[in-house]
This record gives sequence, structure tokens and C-alpha cells, in this order.
Amino acid sequence: MKDVLQKIIDTAVVKFGAKYAEARAQQLTKTMFILKEERVEAAKQGIESGVAIRVLVNGAWGFASVGSLDSAILEAAVSDACSMAKMASERLKNPIKLASVPVVEDHVTAKPKKNPNSIAMEDKIKTAFVVNKTSLGFDSRIKSCGLDYMDLMGTSFFVNSEGTSIEQDKLYVWARITASAQTDGTFTFSRDEIGSTSGYELFDDQPSEELGRKVAKRAIEQINAKPPKGGKAPVVLGPNVVGVFVHEAVGHLAEADLALSGGLLGSNLGKKIGSSLVTLYDDGTLKGSFGAFKYDDEGVASHKTLLIKDGIVSGLMHNRETAQKFGAQPTGNARAEDFRVEPIIRMRCTYMAPQDHTLEELLEDVKDGYYFKSFRGGQASLDGTFQVGIQEGYEIKNGEIQAPVRNASISGSTLETLHKVDGVGKDFALDPGRCGKGQTAFICDGGPHIRVSEVIVGGSA
Amino acid sequence: MVAVLEKNFLISLAEDAVKSALKLGASEAEAYVYDGQATNIGIDLGQISKTNRIIDRGLGIRVIVDKAVGFAYTNIISNPQTVENAATQALSAAKASRPDPDWQGLPQKKSYSTTEGTFDPKIVDLSPEDLIKVTANMLDAAGEVDKSAFPIEGGVGSGYVANAVANSNGIAAFDRGTIVECSLAALAKDGTSVTPVCFEFDASRNYRLDPSWVGREAAKLAVSALKPKPVETQTAKVILTQFALQDLFAYTLMVAVKADCVQRSQSPFKGKIGTQVASENLSIYDDGLYPKGLRTAVFDGEGVPQQKTPLIEKGVLHSFLYDTYSARKDGRESTGNASRAEYLSTPSINPSNFHILPGSKTPQQLLAEVEEGFIIYYLQGAHSSNPVSGEFSVVANPCWKIKNGEIAHPCRGVMLAGNIFELLKNIIEVGVNERQMGSLIAPWILAEDMRVIGK
Repeated sequence: MKDVLQKIIDTAVVKFGAKYAEARAQQLTKTMFILKEERVEAAKQGIESGVAIRVLVNGAWGFASVGSLDSAILEAAVSDACSMAKMASERLKNPIKLASVPVVEDHVTAKPKKNPNSIAMEDKIKTAFVVNKTSLGFDSRIKSCGLDYMDLMGTSFFVNSEGTSIEQDKLYVWARITASAQTDGTFTFSRDEIGSTSGYELFDDQPSEELGRKVAKRAIEQINAKPPKGGKAPVVLGPNVVGVFVHEAVGHLAEADLALSGGLLGSNLGKKIGSSLVTLYDDGTLKGSFGAFKYDDEGVASHKTLLIKDGIVSGLMHNRETAQKFGAQPTGNARAEDFRVEPIIRMRCTYMAPQDHTLEELLEDVKDGYYFKSFRGGQASLDGTFQVGIQEGYEIKNGEIQAPVRNASISGSTLETLHKVDGVGKDFALDPGRCGKGQTAFICDGGPHIRVSEVIVGGSA
Repeated sequence: MVAVLEKNFLISLAEDAVKSALKLGASEAEAYVYDGQATNIGIDLGQISKTNRIIDRGLGIRVIVDKAVGFAYTNIISNPQTVENAATQALSAAKASRPDPDWQGLPQKKSYSTTEGTFDPKIVDLSPEDLIKVTANMLDAAGEVDKSAFPIEGGVGSGYVANAVANSNGIAAFDRGTIVECSLAALAKDGTSVTPVCFEFDASRNYRLDPSWVGREAAKLAVSALKPKPVETQTAKVILTQFALQDLFAYTLMVAVKADCVQRSQSPFKGKIGTQVASENLSIYDDGLYPKGLRTAVFDGEGVPQQKTPLIEKGVLHSFLYDTYSARKDGRESTGNASRAEYLSTPSINPSNFHILPGSKTPQQLLAEVEEGFIIYYLQGAHSSNPVSGEFSVVANPCWKIKNGEIAHPCRGVMLAGNIFELLKNIIEVGVNERQMGSLIAPWILAEDMRVIGK
């Protein structure tokens, strides 16, 4: 495979005058199924193999991807990529340059305790059945439940014109579990995701009964929940919500491409934008976590990147192009969903570092506020407005967790809200997730419990 | 450039896959073949610096063994062996699965209608130079609006998609289509304050685009979002533009009309056929044959003819969206709404062109109806809505305050919370200015009693 890629790169450089060329190949198999209640909708298996070629010609990018190893098709693809880059370069004011990185030759192998490919599909389905059965049996008001399962295994190859050559195994195991309840015209919905880059042992760490019960319990609890009051309120956020808050409110703004596009963090490097309790990382090195990998799709080693230290913006997430613009080191955040698309800057595992509070201490000073425990979706905007949807939340009255509230969300301005983080817990948890930025990336986020003295709560009451 | 694959080749590939699955022991089989080609010119930080050409082809095969469904796909279709391997894999998946007592077979062959304006050979012949010119026109137009506006990203793309479906009931069909689109995201800066990203686009099945309009509008919107003011929490009239409607409906209303969700008690529309579920001002059709529609095609992902299905007529719920499986469960016919994620997935129910019929008011007349209220362009976080109950709690960013029928100023930090099924009943006017966005074809809509949360 590497020979095929090397040949493409040589063609790009020698025949078409590319200043830089890289080729990625992917050979993956996926196993998936969807379980709706106690019915398997379809058991699926797939093969995805293909090649991506990216070149810099006269300072402009050309990219082509094909699901083929046929030499004539690859030759046409590299020719397309180079000629399109050349055409685009004619209007370029600021030619693209890349930060230099070490040349790497490596072979990274996955070492799962339980290789997903060695578990029979029947057994995977059996495990999923237990989840759904538990969920349906939890309460007669649970009317439907679902489980989407996916595992992905394979190898990716990366070769560039600077001499880097990497062969890297890919392994992901993931499931999304949902339940909905209905009674007297009230409908509720609950979801959870689990995921790992370690192996199928994920299902040993997270027993099926427990998964089903957790999702069903949340759907039932919401039946009697009331919408929260809209407006400003103090909140205590659980690790699951903190993760998404950190991801949406800070993470996206710390992606160097978005920072360059006018995002607020680019112009605040070295400045204090939050309470001294706030320290954030984006870490690609946490073994087994859903956002972990050794090398990104530009062949750069994945780092543990400090984004905010004690409230001060300390770094951004870079690819080679943005690192050059900022005079920074590439951080290993360039990721492509698959061979079909170009790598772009993506988060890995983004989290807030724990401090010293217990949950009780965080709650005790809240007279009238909310405890938001579990999220459903979230979205960032370049102007620093974040939104995080909440699927599980409770009122806090005089420091005590009280009645459940439903379908809330929180919003605010990142720069104002980070200053309002006035308590950070000593616990710590991470959850897997998926992030959409044109492409889907498998990510992970989390942190400790935190308290925020004021956010806008979007409630209809 | 790599040539597109011929009709006969794609159909026979699908038919061969079906034959090999039957030979391997499937009681029924269906193959879906996809050939997609796209060329994109990308803008990054205000300049054209990225180009790509993506060729994606593949085959998905669905087989049934003793009422258990298995599926496999491959993106290597040049080699007969990989296609046969996919059939083998689909069978092994079906055998690993469990019988579904509700399975009542793949669709039967039916005659197809013709579609209008879905394929334009000019788009297939567009060169990257042509697309770069279009991109430059869009950027130039944006640049002429105001110094404070910055185009940040966007681009121009052309695409060609062909697909073929064959099954063991004799379906053997081919369709192809084209699309060309341009889009621009811009923001405006004023001292240290930055506006939210403002986005415009144009998309067409024929080679008819207005890149200058896109560039100008994106930049104009961004400039008009400068200097936002906080607002008080209130209940108000709100105009929702197509961007906001698309976001809000995609995760709520468009889910509630799927027969599968209704059958699984995940839709408040269950048992409501024939009843008033929305304001009399609202009529919605799912129109899979809408002329030049972005989701118009001869047949759906199962080879069933696409059609026009009334969903809500003058506020009364009329029908749901069906694929073959859910239709047979209800003793009905499929509405041709089985959609596929290319060759990578089994069919699932989705709207085609979800058409909210236009009313009679021009945008100016809609604004004139609002003494005090808001106009909302983009929503943040619509995907966090509750897909079952229809409750949403989102950020309107940017949105503008309306006073005495005129746009007064942009607003900061406004949230919108409510329930989509109540919103449907609170629609007081529907505009005439329809346009398509994803699967939604809609005009602006004016709703009352919307909860707007401010400072």
C-alpha cells in the first residue's frame, strides 16, 4: 500500500510540480445494527477502502479522493488535484505555508482486549437485546427504545513528500441508546452514548442492564418534570454537561481555523478570559478515550494541548497551516472523517481540570437555581454565544436538589460565562460524543462538577 | 477527469448483486448502486484556497433470510468478487440477526412518473475554472458591501449523482441528477465586537445560480447584525425565516410525521389523523416530484415511485410518511419516502421536498403585522430539541427586533423556548416568499405567543 501512495506523491511532485503532497489510504470494515424495541431492523457489515490525495501547488490546496486503488484512476485523481490547485492559486493573495514537523516513520497497532471482529454478530446483538429488554421492562410507560451499534476496525496509511510514512490501526466501538415514554399525552425522550477506542471490553465496563435502566429511568422521570423558568439563574453542571459546555463554549473557539475566522480566542491569546478556577485541555493522548489517536491525518503526533490555564488563554488547536500562521507548533488536531474528505481541525478529548469542591459544597450556596446533569446537543457560534441542550435537570432550592425540570437549555457569552465559574469540583468524568463540523468526528469531553453563578436558562415557563 | 458510469452498467451491477444473493440462499434481495462525483471550490479566510474533487461509488445489498434482514456494502464495485463478497456478508448478517414477524417483503414493481428539471448536462460539463469564476463573483460582491464585513468561508460546488435499484420482485430502475450550489458565511467586526456568522446560499438542479446575490446578502446580513442590544424576556410575535424553520422542523415536525415514529408511539400525531393539529393557515405536502426540487427523484431508496403526499391540509393532519415496511404494517402503500445515506445504509423514512404551501403576504406585509416582535434568521442548538415531545429551547442568533412593522435593531443573547406542536397552532400568517433549503420548501412564517427569553 505504501508503495502505491509513494508513487502518487512522486507523480504530484515530479510531474505536476506540487510543493507538498500527501496521500492517505484507508481499509476499514464496519459492523452496525439498529435495534428498535426487540426487533433488529437490519444487521449490517461494510467495507470502505479508498485513497485521498492532497497537494499544495503554488500555495493553494488541491484534494481528490477515490474509492479505488486502480492506478489509472489514481493518476487521474492526482492530476485533478494538482491542476485544480494551480487554477485556484492564480487568485491567491496569501499563499498557504505549512509549519515544519518531524519526519515520522511508525507502525501503530491496536491491542484490544476484546477484538470487535472476533465477537460474533449474534453475540453483539444479544448484548444489545439485554439493554432494550431492561429498558422496556423498567416501567410500562416506556413505549419504545432503540440501540444503534457500530464498530469500526481497519488500517490507515499516511505518506507525504517530506518522508513521513505511518501505518496506524483504527478501532472504534460505539452505541447510542434511546428510550421514550408516554402517558396521557405527555411524551418524553432520553438518550445516552457509549464509546471507546480500546475494544469490545467497553461492554464489560458498562453492563447492559445498567445502560438500559439509566436511559429508561431518565425518560420516566421526565414525565412529571416541569419546564424551567426562562431567564438568568445560577447553575451547577454535572461532568456530562460540563464536557459539552467546554466543547461548545471554548473548544470550537480554540480551533485555530475558527480563531482565524474571527473567533474570539485568537485575539485573546495570553489574556485572562475566565475565572482562575478554569483550566482546560484538549488531549489526544488519553488511551482508550473516544477522541484518542497517536497521529492525526497530517501525520502529526497527537498532543495534550493546554487551552486555558487558570483562566488565561494559553494555546489553540492547530493543523500545520494554522500553526504556521500563528507561529505555533502543530498539535495533532487535523482529522478527516474518512478518505473521502480533507482533514480539518477537530477536537479530541476536551475537558476541564478538577479543583477541590465536593458536589455538596457547590450546591450549598445556590438558593434558587438548577442542577443540570445530562445534555442533549449543543452548538457554538463564532461570536462566543454557546448553547447546550439539557435532557436531565433539577431545581435547586436552598442548596438542595429538588423537582426535575424538562427540556431546558443554557446559553450565554463565553467571555462572560467563564468569569462566572465560581466553583469547580474534585470529581472527574468523561463521556464519548460525536461532533459535527461539516464532517463527523468521534470525540470525548468532560470534567468535574462546576458551579456557574449566572447563565441564561431557556425555559418556556 | 474520471467519466461517470453508464446507466446499463449500474443497472446490471444491481441486478447481478441481487442474483448472486438469491443464489447464495436469500429469499429476497435488493441492491442499490450509487455513483457520485463532486467538485468543490472552497473559500478560507476570504480567499479561494481550497479545491477538491470527490468520487464516491458503492453498492449496498439488502437480503432477507427467514424474515431476518441483513445488509452489506462495499465501495469497490469495479471487481465482481467484492460485489459477491458483499452478498455473502449480507447473508451472514441476516443469519446473525433475528426474524422480524412484521416483515412483509420488498416492494413490488410499479410504473414511474417523469421528473422535471433534475438533470442538467451543463453542470456535469462545468470545469473547475468555471466554478472558480463563480466563487470569485460571489466574493467580489461580498467585498463591495461594507468594510466591516468579512467573508470567512464558503464556496461553490457542483455534483452529479446516479443511482440504480434492483430487487427480486423485478424492480430495475435508474435515475440521475445534478446540483450546483454556492454559499458564503460572513461576519462583521466593529472594534472588538464580532457578529455571529451570517450565511446565505443558492442551490439549483440546473445551472442557474446568483453568486453575486449570495455574496451581497451574506455581507449585508452580517453588517446589519452589528451593535446588538439586549432585550427583556417576553411573549411576542415572531417571524421565522426559512433558515430557522428548517432547523426547528428537521428535529421535530419532520420526525413526528414519520410512520415509523408514529407506530412506535414516539409521535404526538399518533391517532390524530383527521384532527386539527395546526393553524388553518398551514398546509404541508411532501412532494417527491416537485419540479426542480432539491430532493426530487423518480424513485426512492427502495425503487418505489416518489409522489406528492398531503401531510397537513388547512391545519388538519392528513397522512404520514411511509416506506414499504411501515406501510405494510399499517396496511397501506408506501409514499416513496425511503431514503438512503448513499450506498452506506438501509432505507429509512425521510421527507423528500417538505413543502409548506405559501400564503398571501409579502415579507413587507408580514413585517407590517408586527407592532412589537422579532425576526429570526438562524437558530443555535435546534438539534437539541426533544424529537418526541417537540419541545425546543434554542438561541436565536442573530435575530432582529421589529417595532411598528420595521426592523429596529439586532438583539443579543435571545433564547426561544416552546413546543413545536403549540407553535403550529400559533401560526397567524404565511408569506409568499418561498425558497428551498435542504428538504424544506417554505416561505416566512409569522407566529404569535412565542416565549422569547432575554436578559
